[in-house]
Amino acid sequence: MPRIFHALAIALLIGSAVYVYKIKYDTMGLRYEVVRLEKQIAQERDLIALLKAEWQKLNSPERIQMLSDANLDLVPLTVSQIIRWQDVPDRQAPVDSIADKLGALGLIDHPSSPKSPDITGSVKKKD
Amino acid sequence: MARSFPPDDPFQLSATRPPRAEKKPRPSWPVRVWRALFSMRIDKSRPRLVIVMLAFISVFGAITYKLVHYANQPEEVAQHHFPVTEIAKARPDIIDRNGIVLATDVKTVSLFAEPKRIIDKDEAVELITAVLPDVNARELREKFASKKGFVWIKREITPKEREEIYRLGLPGIGFQPESKRIYPNGTAAAHILGYSSIDNVGIAGIEKYIDSEGLAALANAGLASDATKLAPVKLSLDIRVQHALRDELAKGIDRYKAKAGGGMVIDVTTGEVIALASLPDFDPNNPKDALDPDKINRVVVGTYEMGSTFKALTTAMALDSGKININSTLDARSDLRYGKYTIGDFHPTHRILTVPEVFIHSSNIGTAKMALAVGVEGHRAFLKKMGQLDRLQTELPESAEPQVQKYWNELTTVTVAYGHGLAVAPIQAVMAVSALVNGGHLFPPTFLPRSAEDALAMSQTVIRPDTSEAMRYIMRLNASNKLGTAGKADIEGYFVGGKTGTADKSIHGHYDGKRVFTTFMGIAPADKPRYLFMVILDEPQAVQGTYGYQTAGWNAGPVTGAVIERAAPFLDLPKRFEPPVAPFPTMVKLGAWGTK
Repeated sequence: MPRIFHALAIALLIGSAVYVYKIKYDTMGLRYEVVRLEKQIAQERDLIALLKAEWQKLNSPERIQMLSDANLDLVPLTVSQIIRWQDVPDRQAPVDSIADKLGALGLIDHPSSPKSPDITGSVKKKD
Repeated sequence: MARSFPPDDPFQLSATRPPRAEKKPRPSWPVRVWRALFSMRIDKSRPRLVIVMLAFISVFGAITYKLVHYANQPEEVAQHHFPVTEIAKARPDIIDRNGIVLATDVKTVSLFAEPKRIIDKDEAVELITAVLPDVNARELREKFASKKGFVWIKREITPKEREEIYRLGLPGIGFQPESKRIYPNGTAAAHILGYSSIDNVGIAGIEKYIDSEGLAALANAGLASDATKLAPVKLSLDIRVQHALRDELAKGIDRYKAKAGGGMVIDVTTGEVIALASLPDFDPNNPKDALDPDKINRVVVGTYEMGSTFKALTTAMALDSGKININSTLDARSDLRYGKYTIGDFHPTHRILTVPEVFIHSSNIGTAKMALAVGVEGHRAFLKKMGQLDRLQTELPESAEPQVQKYWNELTTVTVAYGHGLAVAPIQAVMAVSALVNGGHLFPPTFLPRSAEDALAMSQTVIRPDTSEAMRYIMRLNASNKLGTAGKADIEGYFVGGKTGTADKSIHGHYDGKRVFTTFMGIAPADKPRYLFMVILDEPQAVQGTYGYQTAGWNAGPVTGAVIERAAPFLDLPKRFEPPVAPFPTMVKLGAWGTK
């Protein structure tokens, strides 16, 4: 009985020593990992700051205006372009030009659609 | 008892045998410990066990104690990564009211050497110049030969260069992380932001303000130790409005061939500066430009005779004093004479005018008479109350002392009434006119966000609400009536009101009729003003389309109009399709000129 106990104790001792050793090295590894991650976080943060700055530089109003003037046909918004919903003109009645033609030729019974000028949009005249 | 031989009693033998132990000397303690540990006798094993037990208890006790001790100690590892120099240089970001970055820190690395630690100096020079071709080899050799402990090789190198230098594995060569200040929007808002030095110290503008107050306070609170913990500094600016203002101002200066110009957009309910521009300006990324004296912030640091925009103050003073009311009449039939000085009108009417007519015709005579009705002392006290006689201090470190005449007599009151003989910073005049139209609450302009409640709490009531309504009414009348001078800024749907000002520039003590300084103050919407727009132009010329005029109504006015039209969609200023119902009830009740 005492022999088994001794053997068990010795095994436990060796086991715990190995376990402590392992924990120690794991901790060291984790510590390196922490340092590495911290460094990486700092680097990423610096990179984010750099990208943010670059993003804003690319989006700076002055640059956008310069690019727009050079490459687009857009002009600045004028106050007359801001209108109310009710001032938006109604959609034109649909024109069936083929049926109109056929009706005019007397081939089918079709009342001719109201003649509409080629207007794609308009602003209601202010009274 | 004598010994007998042969022994008669065999048992006596043992009894008479002397005890061995008593004869031997007691062994020293190491021997005893040795024996106790290694004696194989089972009956003597107790001390051995005790000793071994004590040894184990003490060793494990020590280990346990150390473990507990370490477990309770704070983590110290993370703090060694940031050199102290870098911490001191970190600056908070500056953002506009919508969170758009106006200034930020970018990390760069600078290359340095410790010449004493370099083993082969020639090889080091050769390798470094191979990676950094723009570094002068001869200069570098001289630097390495010096007795200095530390020399810069190159400030702000790229990450790629850093990698290559690192791979050279040279002893005595090191990298120093540094922060570099970047202003991504370039010239926009340059005068407000200011700039910082290569060592990231604020030199001017908000940057200096942050150093003097913000950053110092943060450092004291222990918050500035890490750049990432610094909260960004939010300004009241809107970069979109700022750009629109600057751009329209630049176009205006170009169009009217002015020497310089300035502009400002302010929220009259809170005193927040939404935009402030002064041209010519500079790029804060290249702060050397800023040192040119022509590039001062004209709105804040320049002092000018504001001309007829000052009539708004005079009119408000006269109405608020009760000595003049909106229906009072003033005789503008003949010029005022003071000794050798004659005060006349630019647009002479030669008749008796009511107060609104005086304002829209910008009659010097009528305004001077209003000021005289209040009196010299009253006039001076009112201007003092409006903050026109003292230096106005904002967050910006720069400010200007108004140029006030030492001896204030009747003639002074007459000229100051229409904006000559008193030079103030335009931002000061903006503050006063804001108070005239917002119901009479005077508070200093700010570049930081401020709520309307806070502004009201810190405000000083300078005029009555009905006087404020009268001011809004006559400013609106000036834009809407065809006789008024502010028509060019009357952008449809925003119910704009305004006042023009054209001051003859004083050159060597004489007013030069050819050189003028024009100003425009526009409010929108006039029935319940939210924003005040100001434009100043220095020496605009009469150009094609202005019919030979160089007065404010023909240059500063249209520029302000363009700013309003362009900036309004960004501001909380919806276009209105119907004119407001009864915008000026008191004026209608009094039957003021122009209400019918």
